[in-house]
Parts: sequence; C-alpha cells; structure tokens
Amino acid sequence: MASDTLSIADKIIAKPAPLTQIRRGTVFGAMGLLLVAVFFAFPIVWSALSSLKSTDDIVKFRYPLTWWTFFPPFPTLENYYALFFQLNFQRALLNTVIASAGQVIIAVVTSTLAGYAFARLRFPLRNALFGLLLVTAFIPLEVILVPLYEVVKGMGLVSTYPALFLPFACSPFGIYLMRQAFQSIPVELDDAARVDGASTLKIFWRIALPNVKPALATLVLIQFIWSWNAYLWPLVIIQDPSMQIAQVAIAGYKSVPNFPLDGPLFAGVTVVTIPLVAIAIILQRYYVRGLMSSGIR
Amino acid sequence: MKFPSWTGNPTRRGELVIGPLMILPAALGLCIFQFWPLGVAILNSFRAFNPFNHRPNGWVGFGNYQAVLADPSFQSSFWVSLIYMVLMIVIIIPSALGLAILLDKRMPGTALARGAILGALASSEAVAALIWNAIYQPNSGLLDVIFQTFGLPSQPFLTDGHLAVVCIVIMTAWKDIGLPMLIFLGALQAIPPHLFEAASMDGANRWNKFWRITLPLLRPSLVLGLFMTTIAAARLFTPIQILTAGGPNGQTSNIAYFSYAQAFLFNSPGPAAASVVMMLLMLVAITIIQARALRSRSGI
Repeated sequence: MASDTLSIADKIIAKPAPLTQIRRGTVFGAMGLLLVAVFFAFPIVWSALSSLKSTDDIVKFRYPLTWWTFFPPFPTLENYYALFFQLNFQRALLNTVIASAGQVIIAVVTSTLAGYAFARLRFPLRNALFGLLLVTAFIPLEVILVPLYEVVKGMGLVSTYPALFLPFACSPFGIYLMRQAFQSIPVELDDAARVDGASTLKIFWRIALPNVKPALATLVLIQFIWSWNAYLWPLVIIQDPSMQIAQVAIAGYKSVPNFPLDGPLFAGVTVVTIPLVAIAIILQRYYVRGLMSSGIR
Repeated sequence: MKFPSWTGNPTRRGELVIGPLMILPAALGLCIFQFWPLGVAILNSFRAFNPFNHRPNGWVGFGNYQAVLADPSFQSSFWVSLIYMVLMIVIIIPSALGLAILLDKRMPGTALARGAILGALASSEAVAALIWNAIYQPNSGLLDVIFQTFGLPSQPFLTDGHLAVVCIVIMTAWKDIGLPMLIFLGALQAIPPHLFEAASMDGANRWNKFWRITLPLLRPSLVLGLFMTTIAAARLFTPIQILTAGGPNGQTSNIAYFSYAQAFLFNSPGPAAASVVMMLLMLVAITIIQARALRSRSGI
C-alpha cells in the first residue's frame, strides 16, 4: 500500500504529456481549470492585495465595485509597519516558529525511532503495540481538550513553549509513515551489515536513515504545516498574550472594539499564509505524498 | 514451536531490549497526551464537579448525560452537527469528484488549478475563516458589495442562522476540498487505460464509461472520501468560533462548539465531558460503518 500510495502521489503531480492536437474540449477544459484556479486562489490573493491598502481605503474603495475593490489604489506598507512596530506581531511570529520547530524536531526523532523498531526489530507484542498507538490518530483534539488542558496545567506548563508543541509531537501519522518507509528498504541491506558485525543502532543510523530521506521530508513538511496552522489548542493553553502564537493573535485583530484593524489583519494573514502556501506548492511532491498516506491507512 | 526462532538467534537478541526502548518516547508521549486525557474525559462524564473550584467531587452516574440530553441547546447542537455533515458531504464529494476528473485530463492549466487547491488546503482554518469573514461581512463585505452591484438585496450572511451554516460549510469546502480531490485523483489515475479502450471498441460512449467503469472502480475511494469528510464535519470548530461564535442563538453551534463553550465559557466540566463522549461515540459509529463499507467493497 505504501509504495502504491507514493507512486500514485507522484503520478498526481507528474507533468502532462505535450499536446499533439488542440481540440475544442481542451479549450473548454483549460478555461474551466483557469476558473478553478481563480476561485481557489482568490481569497488568499485578495487578502494579500488588501494588506497593501490602508484600513480607510479598504472601507472606502469597497463599494462601488471597481478594480480598486480588489487592487490597492494607493499601495502602502503602513499595515506591516503597524503589525511590527505597534502590535508586536514579531513576538507572535517568533512563538509560532519556536512551537513549530519544537514539534517538528520531536516528531522526527520519536517517529523515526518508533517507526524503525516497528518495521525492522523483533520483540514481543510489536504489532499489537503498533495498532494501539495508531488508534490515537482517531482521537479528536476536541474530545480530549479539557483533560489535556488539565494534564498540561498539572505539569505547570500553561503559557509555555513546551505546552504548545509537546502534546502533538508524538504523532501516530509520523510513526505510520516512517514504518512504511523503513519497510520498503530491502532486508538484505540490514542482513549484510549485521554479518559485518554492525550493531542495531548502527544499522539504523548508517543504513536505514539515509534511505528514507523522502519520507523524512514528507514528515517534516506535514508536521510543520500542522503545527504552523494550530489554533484551538494554543487558544486554550496560552493565557499570557506575549506567549500567544500568530494565528490566534491575528484572530484577535478581528474584534477590537472601536478600533478597526482590517489592514493589519490582512497583513498578518499574508505574513503567516503566503510563505506556507508557497512551501506547500513548491514541495508539493512531498506534501501530496504526506496527505495521501495520512488519508489512506 | 512456541518460541519464535529469533529468541535463539544471539545476534538479534539485543532487539528485545532496543526495540521497546526505541518505541518508548513515542509511546510515552501518546499515553500522556492522548490515552490518559481520553480516559479522564470518559471518567469526567460520570462525575460531579464542585461549582467553585471545578474539582471532581463524586460520581453522578449518567446524570451529566441526562442533563445534557435534556438541554435544548445540546439538542440543537446535535441536529446542527448532522446538518453540517449532510451539507459538507453534498457540497464537497460531488465537487471534489468533478475537480478530480477535470484535473485527470492533464489539460493546460492543470498545474495552476492544482497549485491553487493545494494552497487553500495548506492555509490554516483560522486564516481561511478570517478571510471569508471579510467576504461575508454585512454591509461592507465583498460578497455584499457584489450583491449590491447586481442590484440584489443585502443578505444576512452570518447573522441568519440557516444562511450562516451554509456560509460556514462553503468556507470549509473551499479550504478542505483538496484532500478528497487528491484521493479521487489518485484512484482515477490508477484505472488501467485499456479498460476504457476495450469499452470504446464495444461501442460505449463517454457516459457509459463513467457509470460502468470509472464509478465502480472509484467506490473504495469514494467511501474513504465520504467518511473523511464526515469526520471533518463532525470536528468542525475553528470556522464556527471565528465566523459566528456559535450564534445567532446557538444556531450554528455543533457538538464540538457546544462542549468547548460548556468547558471554557460556562465552566461546566461534567456536561462538557458528557457531550464530547457522545461526539466520540458518534465518530466511532461512523468509523465502524466506514470499515464495514470498505470491507464489503474489497470482497467483490
């Protein structure tokens, strides 16, 4: 199933064959695809363009419907200035980066270790344990939110960085992905190394790990996107505003009484979204692989 | 025969220790942060809580469940959850299939459309909700401006309960359609082309081929997409919290939002736990039906 998933994922993003003839259906299809692209890209592009308008202009040029409803008539960076020099958004951004880095690093370490053991090592109850750990993939955060809050509070971690990344750093998806990747390495490689007297850990480090780089890239990318986009958990566990992450901070700009922050809100949305979307599209080979194997269990 | 041969293999005996050790960090993390809170959530649903310090102070059996089931706002949340599920399935599954078929043809523009869909999928729920909030805003929202330009009356997109549910579903569909679409696209590309060639030789038209070849071969993926969408719909939270905060009058609040409000806005941990356990049971039922449906497919 795993190699299947990978080859399908690669097929999805393969380049189209060169056109040999142009048919009418092709023209309609291409127009349809263009409409699809516009529909899905529009909200993000529109908010990026709006971030270059002052809050006054956003309101002023919305109606009547003209080009200036969408494009900035007087492009300005004042929203970004407000974001970084008045709203201290860089702190929220730094918190997001630290939380994401923590989650990615721990997820890579725990998932590769467990994935390798489940794929290659022999010990009692191995498969039963694997199945048990995979069950956690079906526990929604919404269900365990309150007791998880109590657990983290009990550890004295409310409003700290570990509270942001520790609870989700051990990932059933990561263990599953890495197990599949290690299983696809030929066993003969291990056996040959073992005959040469290599220890289990040496085989893991020198032979197995270098052979699963694409799966590692997928794991890093998916975990990064998940933690970067977290909202509900940070909303609940971070009570000190200076420790809050960017997503929650931006949502806070939506409802400041008597003080419209539409401009900075669009700027914040642009800052957290454009790099992420760019990474996902550029690395779509790994992104699609990760999505496919998180969906097809 | 009782002992596997590897226990006698001295070079691999070390794995008996190293194996569990390598699993330990992940297992420990999942036990502390997943299994333990899950157990506590289930226990809490049978407990009473001190109203002042919110500590458990005794057992009430099914009292929390009775209280929650008798609560009109929970009943409403339950039906709203079902409406979200139905609407998301009706909107997302056919459009995801249509998009997958369009992208499968590999016409010019495919990479552009795929990039845009993946971009929406990678953006966060919070960001998507904030952008769509600006689109749906009454009086100054983009959609309202477009309505006014075409001489249509203003619509209470987020202030009318029924319309707000639809608006939340459309926003979620925009963001999440990529996942079922990728699954369908993968299944479409796995269909051997010779099946279509053979059907063409037998005189089948495009419609016949879709109904007789594509759809039957896509059924496992359709079932998978269906249940992933159902589970995503049951867990819908962030768009509700940002766009309507469950309002107006709780008309957009589903069970996930109801339990969040009980726990963190109204400080009633007992009913909150009872409602999440019921949500979990609903998800388990969906997953079991999914597993059944998938198994009966592969049996053919």
